[in-house]
Amino acid sequence: MNNVIECKNLTHYYGNKLVYENLNFNVREGSILGLLGKNGAGKTTTINILHGFLQPREGECLIYGENTQNLSPHTKSRIGFLIEGHVQYAFMDIHQIEKFYSGFYPNWNKEPYWELMSKLKVSPNQKISTMSCGQRSQVALGLILAQEPDLLILDDFSMGLDPGYRRLFIDYLRTYAKAENKTIFATSHIVQDMERLIDDVLVMDYNRVLAHSPIDKFMTGFKQFRFKTKIEIAGLKNEAFVVNLEKAKNEVELYTYESEDFVKDFLNKNGIQFENFSLVPMGLEDAFIGLTGKY
Amino acid sequence: MNKISRYFLVLMTILAAAVALPKLYWLAFDKPIHVPFVMYSSQEHDFFMIDRENDESVRKDRQGNYYTRDEFEVKLPMFFSRQLAMNGNMPDSLNGMDIDLQQINHARSMFRYRPRDMQTPDPGLYPLFEAESGRANLEMPTDFFRITHRMEFLDAASNEIDERKSQMFTTVLDNRGFNYPAKMIAGIPTTRKSCDEGYFVVDNEDMMYHVKLIRGEPYIRKIEVPEGLAFKHIAAVDFMDKKYYCYLISEEDDLYILTQDLYEFIRWPFDALKAETDELRVYGNLFNYTVQTRRPGYMKVVALDNKYNKVDEYEKTWPVSSETKQGKIASFIFPAELRLSDSTTNFVDFNFELMKRLNWIYLNIVLVILQILIIRRSKLKLNRNILDLVIVGVTGIFGFIAVNFFQNKFFD
Amino acid sequence: MIKSIVYKEWIKTRWFLLILTAVGLLAVGNIFLKVQHAITFNEAHKYWYLVLFQNQQYFKGLKFVPLVIGLGIALVQYIPEITAKRIKLTFHLPINENRVLLMMLGYGIVVLLFCFALVFIIFTLFSQHFFGEEIVHAALVSVTPWFLAGFAAYFLTAMIVLEAIWKYRVFYFLASAAFILFFFEKGIAGAYAPLNWKLAVLTLLISLSLTFSAYRFRKGEM
Repeated sequence: MNNVIECKNLTHYYGNKLVYENLNFNVREGSILGLLGKNGAGKTTTINILHGFLQPREGECLIYGENTQNLSPHTKSRIGFLIEGHVQYAFMDIHQIEKFYSGFYPNWNKEPYWELMSKLKVSPNQKISTMSCGQRSQVALGLILAQEPDLLILDDFSMGLDPGYRRLFIDYLRTYAKAENKTIFATSHIVQDMERLIDDVLVMDYNRVLAHSPIDKFMTGFKQFRFKTKIEIAGLKNEAFVVNLEKAKNEVELYTYESEDFVKDFLNKNGIQFENFSLVPMGLEDAFIGLTGKY
Repeated sequence: MNKISRYFLVLMTILAAAVALPKLYWLAFDKPIHVPFVMYSSQEHDFFMIDRENDESVRKDRQGNYYTRDEFEVKLPMFFSRQLAMNGNMPDSLNGMDIDLQQINHARSMFRYRPRDMQTPDPGLYPLFEAESGRANLEMPTDFFRITHRMEFLDAASNEIDERKSQMFTTVLDNRGFNYPAKMIAGIPTTRKSCDEGYFVVDNEDMMYHVKLIRGEPYIRKIEVPEGLAFKHIAAVDFMDKKYYCYLISEEDDLYILTQDLYEFIRWPFDALKAETDELRVYGNLFNYTVQTRRPGYMKVVALDNKYNKVDEYEKTWPVSSETKQGKIASFIFPAELRLSDSTTNFVDFNFELMKRLNWIYLNIVLVILQILIIRRSKLKLNRNILDLVIVGVTGIFGFIAVNFFQNKFFD
Repeated sequence: MIKSIVYKEWIKTRWFLLILTAVGLLAVGNIFLKVQHAITFNEAHKYWYLVLFQNQQYFKGLKFVPLVIGLGIALVQYIPEITAKRIKLTFHLPINENRVLLMMLGYGIVVLLFCFALVFIIFTLFSQHFFGEEIVHAALVSVTPWFLAGFAAYFLTAMIVLEAIWKYRVFYFLASAAFILFFFEKGIAGAYAPLNWKLAVLTLLISLSLTFSAYRFRKGEM
């Protein structure tokens, strides 16, 4: 399968502050990848590099084989960019903006756009700037859909949206992407949204990648065990199999990719007495927090 | 395109800084420079001056004798005749000649030429006054003339050409052999003068014509200009003694007068003038003409008798602004100055002046080193910034500001 | 594509363009009402005399008009682009980034040319109605740098607005303001004759300045 996005050996600093070093990741054609990370983990930096608005100190990102710093007009026409906050030319109304964009894309298909617009309760000459966040998000999405891009890069698409709109947006997007074999690269503040949308997950933390795998593999492989113990177990954090460990009073949360047996064996072998051992089912958000820590 | 745009912006900033920074500097620190005032005494046959020493005005003579104000004025009766008459110590004869105030006033003249009188946009249209209207006062005509392919009178109210009058003057000019268009038209275009003497017009072949309007008729006289003589500036004068019409500055910077009635060109024995840069002043009286030319820091004064023969001369220098403390400090900061306006011209143009002292080289070297440090600190490659360093090295503080205002951050 | 860009620029600027052009025409109208008044009360030849020999600059009401127009058009054209960093949308359009900037710039130049030409021509026609060609010529020499300043202000404002870092905006503003003063040096009518072509060349050289700050934006200087 072809990679639509290939980022190789990305290294970037802001001033002397390292953002990441030698970051590599790919996005397969037809897949939906969610980029997760805490604030400051380098999400925006990655998006900016993909958008071509940042020259990384070293390494490069390729989209359809072209460096994102110098995308050809043809390649740009295959990419739908959703900018953080659903930014659009807010001084136009929905007719003007449709007319504007239709001049750029040879495959312009206005039907999905007008379909979405018909669901909005906006007057024909209403400027986009006077619309609500939710309405604006529909305009931005509608324009991207009408463009018929092969790749969608969506930066924080859920920002400022009501839960209802969020659900609408995600369901529409997933159905659309799967029906037309589109590739999507998405980031969002609200991690639980991603679960319904993405095929692959890429979790970033300061300076490194914490996880990069298909979402179901990640969700089944990454586990949280909970047990009680009276013994001081701070040293456990340094064990290779422990991804994260939180202890409040006697209650321990242990995150690992290993199986229940492995963990129990380990505890027994090392003389750590425990009780109430259980596997805790996690959503994506729990897994994300487990992976990256609460702080 | 992005890189070239940057260099153009750097150029723009260097020019802007080269104008603005020295201007601000001088605005903050400039001090007035005293220019001595030198006069020739027809009584003592020597030069006297008002100068400045230790921040005080002093009156003295060429030999360095100091005078009080009263003593000084007595030495210069032709200049201070009114004051002396008031004090009652005006001599009634001088150089063996009886004199009275009326005579003195009649012969007194003052003329000032500044380079900007010559270096100025040509108005192109001039009022031709009726020289013998029979009225006591001159009146502003309702039309203005130009001499292009012919002589035309343009009526101001209708903005239309007065064909009859234009025809009339053109015919006479044609008859006198005028070569169109006029190169220069000199007169005194104001009603505030004792009488009208019309205009002195230089044609395309450097011949001169005296053009007047007398009782509604053209008066045009061709003035024979000696072979090889051409003038770059003519300043008509209106003196009571009516000895000459105008001062003329030749292409060779000689000073001439054109006498009334006989239309003779007389060259004054005076050769220190550079008309493009120097100011000229002429003070005339019954016995002498004091002719002085000056530029910043230098003055030459020549005394002529009333037959225009040289009788004495005197030169004086004084420190110019670049030699003052502020000027020396400026030369450590700025490699050059760019001015849009200059006291020698009415035109606005780039007037570029390199500092006379090379003191700014030290600052330029420091700034180049500083720039290298800035490049290092910003983790930019030195070999991509060679041109920036050259710019800073040559233009100093101006270039340093420019290349740092517009950062040299480019990628392949 | 160019049609779409023109359409977008038109939506942003149309009302201001109308207002600013009207301001320009009103300024010209005001100038000649004053001339008319002066001539009626003071006789034409006396007024001509003041213009020719007393440095009466009948056209000075025009002084800052092109500057304001150039500045205004640049602001209404480029501020909506940097609000919420919308310029990103423009760069995502399937055109080369510099080309799209040049299209926007080209629109601004054409609009300014149109507006300035209108004001300039009407000013010239009125001048010719009232004054001889020598007076008109000197006046045109004097107003030319003001119109050039309008273009320079447009180019430089576009650059300043598109710069994303405030510190550098201030630097660009200082350099630009000092440069713009070149166009407003005091002088008698016709004084700019030797400088006008040099200012025109400099204005031309800085005409693409917005590509510099836009490049910085694209390379992450924000």
